[in-house]
Amino acid sequence: MSERSRSLLARQVALPLVGVACVLAIWQATLVAYRLPAIVLPSPLAVAKTLVDLVQTSAFWRDVGVSLFEFFAGYAIGVVLGLFVGMLMGEARRFRMAAAPVVESLRFVVPFAWIPLTILWFGTSYVGKILLVAYAVFFVMVVSAARAVAQVEPTLSRVGTMLGMSRWRLAWQVHLRAAAPTLASAARAAAAIGWIAVVAAEYIGASAGLGLMITNAATSLATSVVIGGMIVIGVIGAGVSAVIGALARRWFDYR
Amino acid sequence: MKVQTETPHPSPLPARGESEHSAVAERNDAQRGELVVERVFHRYISAGREIDVLHDVSFRIEPGHVACVVGPSGCGKSTLLGLAAGLLRPSGGMLRFDGAPVAIGRNPHLGMAFQQPGLFPWMSVRENVAIGLRTRGQTRRDARRIADEFLDTVGLADFRDAYPSQLSGGMAQRVGIARALALRPRLLLLDEPFAAVDAFTRLKLQQEFKALLRLDRPTVLFVTHDVPEAIALGDVIVAMTQRPASVQRIIPVAREDRDRASPAYARKLAETLACLGVTSDIQD
Repeated sequence: MSERSRSLLARQVALPLVGVACVLAIWQATLVAYRLPAIVLPSPLAVAKTLVDLVQTSAFWRDVGVSLFEFFAGYAIGVVLGLFVGMLMGEARRFRMAAAPVVESLRFVVPFAWIPLTILWFGTSYVGKILLVAYAVFFVMVVSAARAVAQVEPTLSRVGTMLGMSRWRLAWQVHLRAAAPTLASAARAAAAIGWIAVVAAEYIGASAGLGLMITNAATSLATSVVIGGMIVIGVIGAGVSAVIGALARRWFDYR
Repeated sequence: MKVQTETPHPSPLPARGESEHSAVAERNDAQRGELVVERVFHRYISAGREIDVLHDVSFRIEPGHVACVVGPSGCGKSTLLGLAAGLLRPSGGMLRFDGAPVAIGRNPHLGMAFQQPGLFPWMSVRENVAIGLRTRGQTRRDARRIADEFLDTVGLADFRDAYPSQLSGGMAQRVGIARALALRPRLLLLDEPFAAVDAFTRLKLQQEFKALLRLDRPTVLFVTHDVPEAIALGDVIVAMTQRPASVQRIIPVAREDRDRASPAYARKLAETLACLGVTSDIQD
């Protein structure tokens, strides 16, 4: 192994491990220093054991599956609608003037504020969570799409018109495409917010999912399952965000 | 030279106020390919102030002729091109091509090369040239074939699979020119297409460009601030004044004026420069 690839390996693997190790050390130290019982804070090792047991149960994978399903369904709806409405806002001045007040005020009503209503309207079913994710994702995409489309280099619009593109073809083939790199980063940010929304909604009212698994574990004082579940949420969130980021870059980034 | 400044209502043209229909019906062969700029005004609002860009501009280009627009920087030459392309709406007056008013938006007879080439960065060079042919109804195969032909003509056959970010400024401009020419337009508008290339390449491109024009004989409006270029390429030079710009003079160019070794060329150059006032106004 060359000197260079060894140092690359060191940076890519060793340094992230240092970060994780620090957290684990603080965790373990707190436990020892305050003599906390396992029911309050289990040791990292105990949580690791619980996780190993957990991933061997089908119930765990069902919960993961439900959360991911709710996330992806809501994410797809939110991205498509967000891009569509955002593009309309960027293209059509009248539409923008009509839609802007609604969008601008609603986007500050965080998804969590809707959780009581979604439970009231849709109970603990998938539908409420899917809509909640769609809502969270929609506003990230709408704002970013409207801005990105409006900021496309004006020469490109003139070129498109000169080449004989209709207004909507121009919007679709030139403006949206030119804005794609910006939209790809927005899509990645939206994924993080959407995933947070799903889990939060499950905490409060769900019939399945990671959030429910954790609240159930908490009520039966299975603290290591609570912490294990939190770790799973974090890992899946980072994974989803990385995958969406990589796909978006690969498909849309021409810079 | 047959180009002349325009009166408000030139007799062979249908008078304003007549319906589009009768204008089409009465259009005769003499108007086909003719570009008429008729008492055009253009102003826009910038930071709350109204800016007068074009003030009563009138001229006419004979079918198949090349008119080179020269004038001080920022005098509204590009605005004039935008108006002729139908990308801008004049504040007053009218532009006609083929005897019909220039439509705002799409114009199927039009090809244009911009000052910034405006290539789509997500498309290869070949796709950039082909996309206009596709939107104008060519099949994918034909569009590719024609694009390759024109890329070959501008000397970029080897770069057809490259992306715009991989090209130099001059190469990108050549792609922009190929894209405009590939449409086989009857009205060709060029906004300083050779500005970003070195002097040697520019001379070469100018020669090739003349040869390309012989193919279809489009009517050409060519904006430049390089007076020698205007003499080399133009059948006529439209000299503009400072902003708010109007036509200072229309200077015909004869074949013998283009020989750079001839006294005729020196006279034409001096005449045009004098028209533009101080020679230092002309960049390059």
